[in-house]
Amino acid sequence: MIKRKLILIMENKPGALVRVVGLFHQRGYNIETLHVDSVKDFSTYKDIEKKLETKFEDNQISRLTIETMVSDDLMRQILRQLNKLIDVIAVSNEETTYLKGVLLDENLL
Amino acid sequence: MQALHDEGVELIFGYPGGAALHIYDAIFRQDKIDHILVRHEQGATHAADGYSRATGKPGVVLVTSGPGATNAITGIATAFMDSIPMVVISGQVASHLIGTDAFQETDMIGVSRPIVKHSYTVFNAEEIPKIIKEAFYVATSGRPGPVVIDIPKDMTAPDNLFDYSYPEEAKIRSYNPPIEPEQNQIDRAVEAILISKKPVIYAGGGAIASNAEKELLELNEIIDAPVTNTLMGLGIYPASHHRFLGMLGMHGTYQANMAMHNADLIIAVGARFDDRITNKPSKFAPNAKVVHLDVDHSSVSKIIEANVAVFGQVKNSLKLIKETLEKKLDSYDPFALQPWHDQIKEWKSLHGLNYELYKDESDDHPILPQAVVQHVHEITNGKAYVTSDVGQHQMFAAQYYHFDKPRRWINSGGLGTMGFGLPAAMGVKLAFPKDEVVCITGEGSIQMCIQELSTCLQYNLPIKIININNEALGMVKQWQDMNYGGRHSESTYQNSLPDFIKLAESYGHVGIKITKNSDLSKGLKKAFEMKDRLVFVDIYVDPSEHVYPMQVANGSLENMWLSKDEQT
Repeated sequence: MIKRKLILIMENKPGALVRVVGLFHQRGYNIETLHVDSVKDFSTYKDIEKKLETKFEDNQISRLTIETMVSDDLMRQILRQLNKLIDVIAVSNEETTYLKGVLLDENLL
Repeated sequence: MQALHDEGVELIFGYPGGAALHIYDAIFRQDKIDHILVRHEQGATHAADGYSRATGKPGVVLVTSGPGATNAITGIATAFMDSIPMVVISGQVASHLIGTDAFQETDMIGVSRPIVKHSYTVFNAEEIPKIIKEAFYVATSGRPGPVVIDIPKDMTAPDNLFDYSYPEEAKIRSYNPPIEPEQNQIDRAVEAILISKKPVIYAGGGAIASNAEKELLELNEIIDAPVTNTLMGLGIYPASHHRFLGMLGMHGTYQANMAMHNADLIIAVGARFDDRITNKPSKFAPNAKVVHLDVDHSSVSKIIEANVAVFGQVKNSLKLIKETLEKKLDSYDPFALQPWHDQIKEWKSLHGLNYELYKDESDDHPILPQAVVQHVHEITNGKAYVTSDVGQHQMFAAQYYHFDKPRRWINSGGLGTMGFGLPAAMGVKLAFPKDEVVCITGEGSIQMCIQELSTCLQYNLPIKIININNEALGMVKQWQDMNYGGRHSESTYQNSLPDFIKLAESYGHVGIKITKNSDLSKGLKKAFEMKDRLVFVDIYVDPSEHVYPMQVANGSLENMWLSKDEQT
């Protein structure tokens, strides 16, 4: 078990954050640190916008950084569970990115 | 209501109350959608769930705020665990009262969050059509599940008018369930199949959700592998097929569990390696490669690591595997499986379920619960829709009622909800009024939603209730017998059971009591002859009977109890 960081972007909608935080509790994972920002600069996410054929606009997207103590296997499971949440757009463990059901071997976040 | 009609909804199960009254008034002033008034909101969710499992269409529930919403929770959790599409609309106190502890206020979105696929709150009335469209799309696509829509009362006020239009399609940029599998995944699955000498197909509820009956059968015409189904998957492969092994897992057949344990390839089709299937995961099928077909990424390699993962609608994945396999047929020799089939035949002959027992109608012994199910199977020609509750009777029904078609076996597999059977049977009967609908239950479970007998009278639902009465919480008692030195802590009722016959009669139905083995067959026949009446058949069975086979805790799949004193 080592401390790992994961980053996710999600729709800035009421209740979206509690779904993410609640999932950690529900599945028995622990959050060490949590940081939430509203995204203002979308230049980092051009690839995602292209892949999803969408355009992000102001106040639409939140970025979460979560640190958690988990094993490799569990990390993969957390990523997949987070990716399943409807409001989550993409989630990455800095090596791979789950973008709505598609696993990409790069960090898009 | 207009949006629900535009979505194609024909039937709603619900119960009115303050926060839902505007919607109920709209129901009164239309005639396109039927509403079924249940007697408890839990009944509404189970009925909608049963309707959905039998038809494949989403079930729709309407309840009020506060207690109405919280009463629906058990039914939502049941649907969530079994991935059943359902849309639950809950009334909420008016927007300006939210957060003030108003009368009948509950944070329904918060309470239901861990047991829904997604949920919505309506903040503007104009959003209602879009939210309803999205809710049905989310509930029915990908891995299906329940969706809650919480609607504050002022959002449905008659003076809150807006220009209505129903969206043609729902598109959610952050939701994109896989549909078509990737060819490279298919190729790897085919490679594994070509070299396997001991394959087993293990199909679950996901195969039913994907309506993959035909594709599974066609694929196995080529592979010719033995097939086992989970409790949730029963019916997806015909039980009468000569390659069918029966159910696997905790109370699975000897041959199904032995085949899984000794297989060199497990083809999992819409199944999730639940703890009732695997026994101890580290000892699970030690020599098997796993090809896992699923629509949900998070179900693959969660418990058992998959060697090949195929993501997509399993219907499509099965079809593609078949097409790819057909091109490589010259390198596939189905006769190579013959030693494997011989081995399975031997297992079948060693410890099969006792199929002949029920023909003994003498009064030398009490009624066997297994025999009850077998008689029901015979009388209904194996063609009935069978709902069940949870416990020993559920396992007997799963073992001894042989389902040849999917969506005929309706039970709460994942959550194990007692009280599910009767309301679920109402939902099925409303969907298929001409078909035989049987609720196989026990005297413990039936009392958890017994109030729905009144609903059955109101809407004239001639269900047959087969109450396998052992005067105890049988499965609890079985565990206490096996693991707690026979100390029956709180699992018997000490002569406090109601007279079910009078109870059924007081609700306007027919009751039949059977206590003797020699009366079993004729009593049941009499019940099924009354086509237009609900008949409650109360059958007193041997209270000491246990469900076998049963897996030995923390063992592998081949470690089973075969009877009270016989272990593999």
